[in-house]
Amino acid sequence: MSTRQSKEPDERPASTQRPANWGLVLDLGMRLGLSVVIGVVAGVLLDKWLGTSPLFTLLGVAVGIGAAMYSIWDVARNEMR
Amino acid sequence: MPEEAAEHSESLIHVAIKGEALFHLGPIAVTNSMVGTLIATVVLASLAFWASRNSSVVPGRFQGILEFPLEFLGGVIRGQHPTRWRAILPAVITIFLLVLVANYVGLLPGVGTIGVHVVEEGHEATVPIIRPASADLNFTLALALVAFVLFVSWGIRANGLRGYLKETFVANPPYMTPLMTPIHIVSELSRIISLSMRLFGNIFAGEILLAVMLALTFAVVPAIFLGLEMIFGAVQALVFALLTLTYITLATAGHGGGHDEAHEPARHDADDAALRAGAH
Repeated sequence: MSTRQSKEPDERPASTQRPANWGLVLDLGMRLGLSVVIGVVAGVLLDKWLGTSPLFTLLGVAVGIGAAMYSIWDVARNEMR
Repeated sequence: MPEEAAEHSESLIHVAIKGEALFHLGPIAVTNSMVGTLIATVVLASLAFWASRNSSVVPGRFQGILEFPLEFLGGVIRGQHPTRWRAILPAVITIFLLVLVANYVGLLPGVGTIGVHVVEEGHEATVPIIRPASADLNFTLALALVAFVLFVSWGIRANGLRGYLKETFVANPPYMTPLMTPIHIVSELSRIISLSMRLFGNIFAGEILLAVMLALTFAVVPAIFLGLEMIFGAVQALVFALLTLTYITLATAGHGGGHDEAHEPARHDADDAALRAGAH
């Protein structure tokens, strides 16, 4: 039985948590933009295919913005657990 | 004179966004980025072979360097997954080492500069024989897909297939599911594209920067940028590996985290001992 056994995950040294958080912060900014781009591209392609312009483009923008906000929520929810 | 200098610089800089085919093996085009990947793989395999034959309990300088990423990433992964870290570590460290060595292959002398002459659309160009693997979107996208499969499989392992699908696609409250499902899909897709484009963009931009500096400046100046590229190569490898780890953490967060702590104390002890043995 070591002294480490009694250590709760929340007590782990900050130095072991920090590197993973750097990556998360670097990633989040990129995903915000990419989510909107993916939504718009998918919307434009669907509109071209179905001839429904601009219905799916607008829906794509909304879904993309929603996905961007969801990405932030997903990360924040995990950090708050 | 300035026209001559400009023409000379232009002939030294050959920019191609995709990997260029060197020869064909049946229907498969062998590109210069495949050669880069092969070199990275051979280097890693040789190091692994050497380390497995010559490792000692008290590590020498070289063994210490080889063990450093293992200890560092081992500590980070153990901090996030106290009981599962031994299963997660090999995948994350493989990604880290492969990306690191693939990035550093681009800094070797001759890579991107020694090539074969080809005529493209009436212009003579030099196609490099070796191109760093990370400067090809095919490699980074493939690696991002591997990371995607990894964190989805870990999510399924932790929560069960039904639990994972419910966590991912069924919204709370359930009547929001039709709205949330496309948002989830776009969010998941953005992870793959973000992982692959970041690595590709950084390494490809670094390659172009080095080529421009080599063409426009002299002696010491490109060396400064080579040094910077060494730092960027390590940072990008670390970011890719840590993001894979973060996504695994997010995928397993549903029900798995608490379960580990409560039900597997014996394994926790064994992992503690293994980490200490690895660290010394």
